[in-house]
Amino acid sequence: MSEIQVSPPKGHIEVKNFSLSYDSIEGPVQAVTDTQIHVKPGEFVSIVGPSGCGKSTLLNAVAGFLKPTTGVVTVDGEPVNGPSAERGMVFQQYSLFPWKTVRENVEFGLKMRGMPRSQRERAARTLLGLAGLEAFEKHYPERLSGGMKQRVGIVRALATGPKVLLLDEPFGALDAQTRVIMQQILTNMWQRLKISVLFVTHDIDEAIFLSDRVYCMTARPGSIKAEIPIPLERPRQQSMMMSSEFLALRRGLMSLIREESLKAMGGEINDLGMQGLNIELHGHSLADVL
Amino acid sequence: MSSPALLRHSEDTMASAMADVPPAPAATQSTPPSFGTLALRWFRLNQGTLRATAIGIASLIAFLLVWHLLTTYRVVFFVRFTNVPSPLAVYASFTKAIHDPKFLMHILLSCRRILMGFSLAALIGVPLGLIMGRFKLIHEIVFPVAEVLRPIPAIAWVPMAIMLWPTNEQSIVYITFLGSFFPILVNTLHGMSLVDPVLVRAAQCLGARERSIFREVYFPASLPHIFTGLTVGMGVAWVSLIAAEMISGQYGIGYFTWEAYSLVQYADIALGMIAIGVLGLGSSLLIRGVGQLVMPWRVK
Repeated sequence: MSEIQVSPPKGHIEVKNFSLSYDSIEGPVQAVTDTQIHVKPGEFVSIVGPSGCGKSTLLNAVAGFLKPTTGVVTVDGEPVNGPSAERGMVFQQYSLFPWKTVRENVEFGLKMRGMPRSQRERAARTLLGLAGLEAFEKHYPERLSGGMKQRVGIVRALATGPKVLLLDEPFGALDAQTRVIMQQILTNMWQRLKISVLFVTHDIDEAIFLSDRVYCMTARPGSIKAEIPIPLERPRQQSMMMSSEFLALRRGLMSLIREESLKAMGGEINDLGMQGLNIELHGHSLADVL
Repeated sequence: MSSPALLRHSEDTMASAMADVPPAPAATQSTPPSFGTLALRWFRLNQGTLRATAIGIASLIAFLLVWHLLTTYRVVFFVRFTNVPSPLAVYASFTKAIHDPKFLMHILLSCRRILMGFSLAALIGVPLGLIMGRFKLIHEIVFPVAEVLRPIPAIAWVPMAIMLWPTNEQSIVYITFLGSFFPILVNTLHGMSLVDPVLVRAAQCLGARERSIFREVYFPASLPHIFTGLTVGMGVAWVSLIAAEMISGQYGIGYFTWEAYSLVQYADIALGMIAIGVLGLGSSLLIRGVGQLVMPWRVK
């Protein structure tokens, strides 16, 4: 592995005419419909949307875990055909192997690639050192805090040098302070690695703070409701979250998502047969009140 | 991108990225504590364990004492202690027995049968469970047969085993095998069914193929349940072995116990029972020890 390939920027994700439906006893259920998204090489793109809108479904299709019912997912022009180390993934649930130490977890991808033990040990140690985790290399994940586990998870996903990094609400289970630090860490890593990132979250602030572009999805069946470029300059600071520019973006996204959430909830309310609310919903007055 | 390139590439990134993270707290500085403080601290930390040990020892002594009193006064109160040997009589026969090569041979033979029957059960049960957990078709074929055979107690197999196997020794090992086989199989299967799918997906995203996923994810994830199966299996192996030895054996600690009854050597009955208990305890401790060696991440 001594030869270092200098390659042009990679990691162009394209999702075209995408739809995905599940079979159920009442017939096929449409989870995502008529969706087009793309991530340019080195771009940081987030997907936000109300819960259950299919944003994770979309991400899992890019990862290769789900096959689209119609349409294609390609990375650098090659159709995605099952999971691979080219697309690193970080999950919301801590997904470190409990029976492997921190270092062995980071080594895993390299081991799968057939890198000899001494070499991958060295590589993992270096990566952990850079991530400030070297003191924990021999720890088992159980003994780490949530933030540390996700940090190891990100380092593990990056260790094999993937073209794209997919993150499925990776900071959802962390407390607010840790989440802010993790966002900073992720931004810094991304900026240096020039890797394409597709990030799924329900946290609007997080999406704006991190991304170059944000896709907002509709309620189920999910499709792209809006595509919002985030022109905030980089490097971004925590203080920017109070700027008028940020707040304007936030307000815009918020109202988009609220509409969709209400639609989703309206469906439930209809199902429950709550007539009074139902009438109000059609007149949009509830939306105004909220 | 090869990974050295990545490393070089990312050097400052992560370093600066991690700069926000607060450093690990420095070790608290203090003068080395005196022996007295240390002893007191140790005592306070281990208070629970010490208490449990003390009560445990007291309880065992009380048990021996009650046993001694019941047998000395030959109490008859529904239960008859008239012929039950006293602890001292059992101790006397124990000191005699440890110098008796025949007694040691009984024990050795039982251990050999356990070793063979249990090892076979583990060598077949664990891989079968792993394969059944991974391949649906094999599960669908094997599971119904296993479910029909499983509720049959090993001891009910004795007549059949005698017919099936040419020698007594083989049929006893077979019964021991049967006793431990099903707990091992069922627990391995259970472990396989509980493997967290997100770990499998994580492995796939890191480039793992079917064989690696099996070796690196399914197997270690199932290990805690496999060891539960082995512990339970070991217990049932002893139960089955003793029953088989009592019925069809010529040697073995189960046979020894039964023979003592036939020969009216009452102290030896208790001696045989205690020996069985100690052997059973020893073998399950052995399995627990191996488990801790194999699963260092589970050691608290």
